[in-house]
This record gives sequence, C-alpha cells and structure tokens, in this order.
Amino acid sequence: MRNFRFRNLMIGAVSTVILLGVIPNPVRAQWLKYPVKGTPRGPDGKADLTAPTPRRPDGKPDMTGVWMGVTKYMINIAADLKEDEVPLRPAALEEYKRRRANESKDDPSARCLPLSLPLKQTITSPFKLIDIPGKEEMVMLYEGARHREIFMDGRPLPKDPEPSWYGYSIGKWEGDDLVIDSNGFNGQGWLDINGHPTSEALHVTERYHRIDFGHMSLEITIDDPKMYTKPWKVKESPRLLPDTELLEAVCENNQDLEHMVGK
Amino acid sequence: MKSLIVVSGIMLAAAAHLSAHHSFAAEFDASKRVTLKGTVTRVDWRNPHIYVYLNVKDASGAVTEWACEGGPPNVLMREGWTRDSVKEGDQVTIDGALAKDGSKRCNSRSVNLADGRRVFAGSSEDSAGKQ
Repeated sequence: MRNFRFRNLMIGAVSTVILLGVIPNPVRAQWLKYPVKGTPRGPDGKADLTAPTPRRPDGKPDMTGVWMGVTKYMINIAADLKEDEVPLRPAALEEYKRRRANESKDDPSARCLPLSLPLKQTITSPFKLIDIPGKEEMVMLYEGARHREIFMDGRPLPKDPEPSWYGYSIGKWEGDDLVIDSNGFNGQGWLDINGHPTSEALHVTERYHRIDFGHMSLEITIDDPKMYTKPWKVKESPRLLPDTELLEAVCENNQDLEHMVGK
Repeated sequence: MKSLIVVSGIMLAAAAHLSAHHSFAAEFDASKRVTLKGTVTRVDWRNPHIYVYLNVKDASGAVTEWACEGGPPNVLMREGWTRDSVKEGDQVTIDGALAKDGSKRCNSRSVNLADGRRVFAGSSEDSAGKQ
C-alpha cells in the first residue's frame, strides 16, 4: 500500500511538473505535433489531406479542424482584385490612402487591440472550428484572438446591437455550405493590415465549403454601405493544419510601438 | 537538433507563409540593409515578436548592443524553433533591415549560428512586400 501511495505521489509530482511546463523542449511546445484521432492517413502514416470531406451523422460536412489562411489576404484582403474593383466611397478611399501613406502605422493590432472580422479569419495564425455534436452552435477558437460563437439555432441577428470588436454571428447550412452572417461591429477594425476601413454598418458573410479533408474555400462578402458603394466579395482558401492544436499567442504590450514612425 | 536542421532546410519555402503582426514598413526600412555579427546577450521570447539582443564589436573594439526583431513565438514554434534555439553566448550573424527611427534595432530576415545553421526565420518583412 505504501509503495502504491508513493507511486501515486510520484505520478502526481511528475504531472505537476508537466503542468508547470518544467519539461524539455519537444514536450514544452504543448501539442504542437500530436496525432489527432480520426485523421485519415496514407500508408506512411501522414495525414491524407485529399481524403474525402468528413461528414456528421446527419450527412452535413464536419467542419471541425485547425485551419489557417493565406498570407496575402491578411496583408491585403483585396489582393486578387483590381484597385477599381474595391468600391470604396470617396471618404473611405481617402482614409485608406492615408493609412497606406503612413505604412499602416495606426494598425489596431500593432497596439494589441483585437482582430475584428474578417481579419481574424485571414491572419496566418490558425483558428480551430469546433462543431459541437447535438448543439445548434459552432465555436471558433483562435490562436491570436478571442473565441467566437456562431449560433445555428435559427435566431436572427440583433437589430440594434451594441457595437463590438467581434460582432454577433449566426450560421446556417445552404446545401453543403456553412454560411455565417455577422453584424454589430464597432467600426474600429481594419479589414486587413493595409487598412481597408470599416464602419459600424459592417455586415460580413462567410461562406465555407470543405472541399476535402485538408482544404476549404471561403468566400467573404463585405457589405458596409457607409464605406463601400456596394457589397464586394473576396475568396480565400484556408488549409487544414493536421496533427496539431492551437498554441498560446497572447499579444503583450507591443514594445515596437514607440519605434513605429510610419513613412 | 535533428529537427532544427531539417526545418532549416525548408525555411526558405516556409518564410513566405509567416505572419506579420503589424506593418513592417512603419518601423523598418527595407532599403537599408544591415549585417550584424556578434554575441547573443539575451533572447526575449515574447509576443507579438521575439527579440534577439546581441553585442557587436566594431573595428575600434567598441561594443554596441543591438536588438533585432523576429517572428511571433507561435509562428516560430510551428516552424520548429524554440526559445532555446539561440542562447546567450552564441555567435550569430543577422541579416536584416534597419529601424527607421535610427535606433540600434533591426528586423532580422535571417539569423545564422556560427556553424551555419539558420534559425528564427519569420520576419514580418517576408510578407510585407505583398501589397
């Protein structure tokens, strides 16, 4: 019995040490690399990213996974559009030009302020989409931003919402597409690091389509009548990061700020 | 160590995917390059960007401390680095871009150890040019 207790004590002590992170490098990196159950694999044991889209019991695509966007859209969400295809209103264009002329010195994220939509989807830090079985809700967790709840229970978007950084999100299925509508933003978020502006009138629609196990398409519609003359769309292509989990990325007070001089 | 060497092999391809937390150009001048050879005094492994501090000796023997920015820890970890990849006392060569405000700071495009291994890729400059 005594040995048994001692063994348990040792297990407890070792667990505590692990929890405290006092462990060698490869393990300290949390679950940076860890085989995720349910991942289809090739003969070499590696994740088969072109395996068919996994399905929920009801036949809908299972969107669960750790996903990451493409760099160029984080820098410029309109990277694939011609300049005149972004329908900026004159005042919005002026503001955008001012931000560009100043090399995005006033980017809110440089002050550790939150990432708003759609930047939190396009930034090249991963997000984890979780489809909660049996619940009419999905959750997105972010490596570098606050989590987000997407209500799938049929509720409408709030009519006169209190402005917020992250907005309010509802989702629905259109065939195999997951369509998320969000409003209630505070107008302080930038669409990208270049500084495409937003207002409180911003309404973002995201249409996710899981093409196969490792790939999805994401069509983002920006509808902000105060900043843009009409709704406009961009297409992203997030990829799955297999066999990994989110890490911690807390934005500490940005020490570079005093050195950001702009142009 | 083995994984570090493997990772350094794919570093160039990976660098294009690394994230910029904030505008590179507001802080650094891509046209003003600098190569610094010196001794690491400290690695500040923190968000949103790590910093490598190094003492650089000039021809007259005078020592100046420089601070060079790298990528965010989570991005670097995904590329295989840890806070111990570069340690105090290591001899390093950093290629980077100078700070616009004239301070002894740079944005490191590459950090090479004395044995040639390249570590801590992930400069915000890599993605900053893509407007």
